[in-house]
Amino acid sequence: MSKQLTVKNLTFSYETDSPKILDQVNLVLQANTFNILYGPSGSGKSTLMKVLCGLYPEFAGTIQSGQVLIDAQDLADLQPGAIVKKIAFLFQNPLNQFAMTTVDLEFKFTLENLAIPKADMAQRIEAALGQLHISDLRYRKIDTLSGGELQKVALAITLAMDSQFIILDEPFASVDLASRQQLLVLLKDLQVNHGKTILLADHDLSGYADLADHLYQFDQGKVQEIADFGTVFAKFQHFDQHRTFPLPISADDCVLNFKDLSYGTGESPLVQNANLPLLQGKMVLLTGANGSGKSTLFKTLTRLHPFSGAIYYQQAEIRKIRPKQYAQKVALVFQNAQMQYLRLTLQEELDLSLAHAHHPEIWTPAVISAQLQALHLKGLEDHIVYQLSGGQQKKLQILEMLIVGTPVLLLDEPLAGLDMASIQVVLPMIATMAAKQQQTIIMISHQLTGVLNFFDYHLALADKTLSYQEVLAYQSIN
Amino acid sequence: MIFASFEIAFTQSIWANVYLVALCLVYLIPTLTPKRIAWLLFMPVIPILGTWMSFYFHGTGDVWHTSWLLSTRIYAYIFLGAIVTFTMPINNLLGSLEQNCHIPSKFVYGTLGAFNFIPRVTQTVKQIQSAALMRGEVLHAWSPQIFFKAVLISLRWSDDLAQSMQSHGFWEQQKRSHFDTYPMPLWNWALALVALGGLQAVVFSGLG
Repeated sequence: MSKQLTVKNLTFSYETDSPKILDQVNLVLQANTFNILYGPSGSGKSTLMKVLCGLYPEFAGTIQSGQVLIDAQDLADLQPGAIVKKIAFLFQNPLNQFAMTTVDLEFKFTLENLAIPKADMAQRIEAALGQLHISDLRYRKIDTLSGGELQKVALAITLAMDSQFIILDEPFASVDLASRQQLLVLLKDLQVNHGKTILLADHDLSGYADLADHLYQFDQGKVQEIADFGTVFAKFQHFDQHRTFPLPISADDCVLNFKDLSYGTGESPLVQNANLPLLQGKMVLLTGANGSGKSTLFKTLTRLHPFSGAIYYQQAEIRKIRPKQYAQKVALVFQNAQMQYLRLTLQEELDLSLAHAHHPEIWTPAVISAQLQALHLKGLEDHIVYQLSGGQQKKLQILEMLIVGTPVLLLDEPLAGLDMASIQVVLPMIATMAAKQQQTIIMISHQLTGVLNFFDYHLALADKTLSYQEVLAYQSIN
Repeated sequence: MIFASFEIAFTQSIWANVYLVALCLVYLIPTLTPKRIAWLLFMPVIPILGTWMSFYFHGTGDVWHTSWLLSTRIYAYIFLGAIVTFTMPINNLLGSLEQNCHIPSKFVYGTLGAFNFIPRVTQTVKQIQSAALMRGEVLHAWSPQIFFKAVLISLRWSDDLAQSMQSHGFWEQQKRSHFDTYPMPLWNWALALVALGGLQAVVFSGLG
């Protein structure tokens, strides 16, 4: 029997009357091939992948028309247990992959679900872990594993399930560069030597030129195969750019200071012995590979993550400042906008921030009104914040944290999910208001095009070292 | 055990409670450290003393009997609970319920998954409190906002958990195999019967 996964005229939306996320998608994955699905973040790649492995419409949305066929069988007619034996799925956030507390228990849970006889289980687990060279992870607790280790374990479980197709949704989003390379080699080996079919979604095409058999572009709900994909990959590497930044000269005007700062996740260290100052009133861009520990640095700075060494705010060690006081000095714009909200409507959210603003004289009604106008949030004052779109939520979140005006403001990927037009409004706003309030801004951003001019310094996290760097090398895609 | 719990809820026998506590102690002593047993005995002293005093000084009727009955009953429940929770990890307890009592696997693994989320819950509550502090609001453990946000987040988590379980082949209606089995040998049933018989003897012996 020909082993192939076929998508026929598939149209999918979350509500019957909401926009079509997938619009007449046609796709055929041939057995034993390596396929890349390429498209911008938030374009609906995850939705397509979840439909392909049967999680949708079971958990969300409806198939308006069309079907997904595996070996000529409609996916809708198969039970979940039968589907995973054919099609396995790796989540973007590897922590979402596991229901149990240890690697061993997760394997057993999975094999029990597939009704594998007890006598065969140990052998299957050992073989799968051995094949990916991670036998030493078997008895580790899930929450002590790094992003790369989690994805390797998730991949090993697909081997134990013996699934023919392995579908991976942006699997490297929280995986460091070295682990990404290892995982790509393992995936290629599974395809070439073990007959697996791989479909991998990514918004970044670097490193795939020698691996891929087929490249598909996902755009506006449609999937299109790019026949001449060599040129697309080549284009990716052509736009290497460099940018230089000054280095801070003196540490006289420092607001935060690290002394031998070290932190990690589980058993793996992320940063070791960082010694550097953050200067008052400056805008700092923090860069580093996925999984290198940038977000964890922000959690460390806001005392949500343990660390060794010392962090000084002005002259005081931050562990000696009362939490309530410290939160008025160093605040964080969380990656998840909803984490920030405390009230129901947009106006109530703004009022709360205004009530605690450090520089209320700056935030006159006219200023606020102008900002809302610029952010296209005007007229939404009575709306429930949780019902705003993702982009609107993010813009409101940034505005309300600027209004609070803490001396240090950390922003974790504030531009992700914003379109270019919004970025061009948001960034100047941050720069202007931060300057007026003499704030120190530290921002994590993967989006670098059109962003760099706003920053005074470039802080890089690489090889467990945190340091100011003069040169920032980056790739611009467009 | 469940039968015994029901029975002492309706009987008036102090000695039945004492018998149960003693029986549980005998069962617990080989498995627990002396420190843990001491903790079990002394931790509830304040609520038990409170119960005893309120019934003794403010009760009606036979206050001596009522106060001792209710305070020993609390001990009996604590020890009955302890023989379940202290003698086996939650995984084994749920596994045993699934295999021996045929509790639906969705309930068993849903509960287990929720238990596994506990560290994340603690971390997230800390994050919510910290986010509020940054806006100048102090959220105490009893603030309704914490609950509101916790409900929003747990709705998302429960969906994530269900998807992760399904992606590893979990489906309620299918037959599962079991790596760890929790058989109930015959002597377990016999022991339970003897212990329950002893309880009946005490309850109906006419002792106070």
